[in-house]
Amino acid sequence: MNVTNIDDLAGIELADGFVWRPVRRHFGIKAFGVNVYTPGASRQIVEEHTEGQLEHEEIYLVLRGRVKFTIDGNEHELGQGQLVFVRDTSLKRAGVALTDDAAVLAIGGKPGEAFEVSAWETWFSAAPLVEAKKWDEVIAVYNEALTERPDHPALLYNLACMEAQAGYADDALAHLQRAVELQPDFAESAAGDEDFASIKDDPRFPR
Amino acid sequence: MSDGYEILTLDEVERAEHRGSNLIPVRYTLDYRPAGVNAWIADVGGQLIPPHEEDSGNEELYAVVRGRASFVVGDETKDAPAGSLIFVEAGHNRTATAEEDGTIVFVVGATIGEAFDGGGWDTFAVAYGLYQAGRIDESRAVMEKAMSDRPDQWALPYNAACLASLAGNPDEAIDWLHKALELNQEEIYEYLRSDSDLDNIREDPRFQELLK
Repeated sequence: MNVTNIDDLAGIELADGFVWRPVRRHFGIKAFGVNVYTPGASRQIVEEHTEGQLEHEEIYLVLRGRVKFTIDGNEHELGQGQLVFVRDTSLKRAGVALTDDAAVLAIGGKPGEAFEVSAWETWFSAAPLVEAKKWDEVIAVYNEALTERPDHPALLYNLACMEAQAGYADDALAHLQRAVELQPDFAESAAGDEDFASIKDDPRFPR
Repeated sequence: MSDGYEILTLDEVERAEHRGSNLIPVRYTLDYRPAGVNAWIADVGGQLIPPHEEDSGNEELYAVVRGRASFVVGDETKDAPAGSLIFVEAGHNRTATAEEDGTIVFVVGATIGEAFDGGGWDTFAVAYGLYQAGRIDESRAVMEKAMSDRPDQWALPYNAACLASLAGNPDEAIDWLHKALELNQEEIYEYLRSDSDLDNIREDPRFQELLK
């Protein structure tokens, strides 16, 4: 039987101090987005964000402990067996653990569309490697994601960022060019992105 | 609170009996659209998850929120205390029973590569629960709302016909069966012949006419 406990799942602590426990990746689930979050050093448990880009309707269910959610500026303290459903994708949402044992199950998807693995799972999994500047390993994580979704503009853009920092100028320029072809406003982002300092003067750099 | 979000306490949601289990109809209550989300609650020894195979093709993830459950998938049985996550692919027989009072299992389900379409079984469970409690008007209102939201879904008018038949409203039942047959000709006939929910109208000449 394919069973695990939330405490036995791998945990990746992200910059905001929350710990991502990648449930979907662990089981290889392809039909819906699902993850568990636990608090890190900062007690953050759900990072502050909107779903403006992905347009995912989200449910956060408290599996354990107590969590203070802030949704659209309103605070709600929820305990085990309580959930918040954020239908409006533009609302700012965040959660802070009030107890050390807190755990939140997060479910998300876009109504009327088949689920696709979100690109943020790739940034989240690569984050500790980026922190440690293990560029070859970071690049491997991105390339793995791109084998499934070769024309994902944000994955290509971020891969280019990593390659530029790793000193792989030709790869970085090729991937950045492709990202800009697919999503032209990435040219503007690239112009102001310090990750590209090493390749900015190259004539191939998109402008 | 604003209109854009909702807080739900699983213990406070009105439950619906479904195939020997107690459904906490989360998807119906929230009108959640991207995936199937529901919860089940039982006391020690009680059935949590009705035995089923997900022949719909759904992948399912179960999360034990509170208490302790005993899960059976295929031939295997596992103890699943609170905090357990159990993933079951489509086509495997699965069920669970509670090992402690007040055990709650939350479940998420959807089909790979398809936009979620639950078919409304949980809405029907809510309507059927209201029917059994004698709240016939509320039961009918639940089905009518579901059908106006999903006019293409044949199972809804079919199930509305079952409820009307059980409630002793043959005219209404026959009308709903006509509606269901406009949407689906193939699958309904199999159900029509053997569904005991329709026994009250089986001898009605209009029902006999439908079977021809």
